[in-house]
Amino acid sequence: MKKNTRDLAYISRALTPRNRSGVLDISFGWLFALIAGAVIIFLAIYLSSKLIGTEKETVSAETGKEIGILLNPLETSFESAQTTSISIPTETRIHNTCDETGSFGRQVIQLDQKNFGKWTKTEVDVSFENKYIFSNKEMGGKKFYIFSKPFSFPFKVADLIYMSSSNERYCFMNAPEEIVTELTNLNRSNLITKNCSLSDIKVCFSGNCQINVDYGAGSVKKGGKIVYFAGTGEDSKTLMYAAIFSDADVYECQLKRLMLRVKELSQIYGDKSVIVERAGCENNLREDLAKLSSLADGFGSSTELELIKLQADDVAARKEVGICILW
Amino acid sequence: MHTMVRIRRITKRGQMKIQQMSFMLIAVTFLFILVGIFFLSIRLYSLKKTATNLEEQNAMLLVSKLANSPEFSCGNAFGSSRTSCVDFDKLIVLKDRISDYSGFWGVAKIELRKIYPGEEDILCDEKNYPNCNILKLLDKKVNTQPATSNFVALCRKEKTEAIIYDKCELALLMISSESKK
Repeated sequence: MKKNTRDLAYISRALTPRNRSGVLDISFGWLFALIAGAVIIFLAIYLSSKLIGTEKETVSAETGKEIGILLNPLETSFESAQTTSISIPTETRIHNTCDETGSFGRQVIQLDQKNFGKWTKTEVDVSFENKYIFSNKEMGGKKFYIFSKPFSFPFKVADLIYMSSSNERYCFMNAPEEIVTELTNLNRSNLITKNCSLSDIKVCFSGNCQINVDYGAGSVKKGGKIVYFAGTGEDSKTLMYAAIFSDADVYECQLKRLMLRVKELSQIYGDKSVIVERAGCENNLREDLAKLSSLADGFGSSTELELIKLQADDVAARKEVGICILW
Repeated sequence: MHTMVRIRRITKRGQMKIQQMSFMLIAVTFLFILVGIFFLSIRLYSLKKTATNLEEQNAMLLVSKLANSPEFSCGNAFGSSRTSCVDFDKLIVLKDRISDYSGFWGVAKIELRKIYPGEEDILCDEKNYPNCNILKLLDKKVNTQPATSNFVALCRKEKTEAIIYDKCELALLMISSESKK
């Protein structure tokens, strides 16, 4: 009886399928391949998406740095203005940011580029201490027009760079003759003085339009905000163009940076006056330069520009009186 | 008894498989880490190379224009306006204030070397000025690329017993960018 029962149990075990739970019989090899394969595929997709993102950021940072480097030849010597253009193969948005901290502040460029119809935002900032770019906070396009002019206050302080997209056309209406001549000589297709179209950004020297310039009072009204410009001697146009082409925030910040450089250069010329005095060159400019330096140091906004201009004009007038010219 | 032996054999085989799987997983992980490190090092090297090239390009374009920047240029101080003319009187003052300008031009070294008349090398400072011929304006203690240079006129005010005159000598303006490699 016992033997029969054992035999029956053995037969029943033998006949029962091995896969008792009814699911697939997965061997160790399969299980390992599935787990490892899933992990590998997940990692590969994750890493390649990260890598593409990093690669796009690198390209944007490189382009930003290249733009900054290409602006080096815009440093002027005898010229009253220099002009160039930059073409980028892909649709690009340039963000112009200004940082006024540090000895001279910083010009920051950030680039977003279009890839496969989508904008790639970059967090990488490319900065330059010796550049002053006046433009809107954001410009888009493939081609960008640039021109530069030297800014003197009363000595040469820097070359100001005006940047605009080829997608934007500025039409200067009722501009004084000297401005019309200068713009015509620049020969830029996005800066015109006649035959304005509806899509143009209109810059009016009288009347009311998008950008209003009061040339006599030295002010520019743009986007509801008024900023002031001035210049020593006859040159007040340099800052006027800056106010026209840039947003009010960018203009005010860049002006502060320029005043930081005025401060530093005043001190350099003040110390130089001591050295040339040893060579017998009397000039008595040290105190005036120190005053200019202190005014430039305390500069807050363009409303105070006229006050500093008075001191700069005073320094310029006294410079001519000395035996040796300082700059 | 027979069943017990079989269970033990199955458990042992299971343990072996688990060990085999964990060893394989560790090996695969190591392989991926190694491949990742290899790829990253290549990428990092290429990035550093690009950064160095860009710095070098900056130095090359800057050297031709630096003499015209307000801190260097003669302006009208020596008669009419001149191009590629460097004001030595201004530079010796700038040397004392160079800490403010450390990152201003984005280069690691700026040096001026009088090449005519040829004299023995004397580094310029406020005490021996103008009887010197090398002015190390900026010298960041970093690895640098070979210098790019440009010929300039180095001018200063000079006094004899009777007159004050402008003295200009031939000099080499040298700029070195940082090497990121």
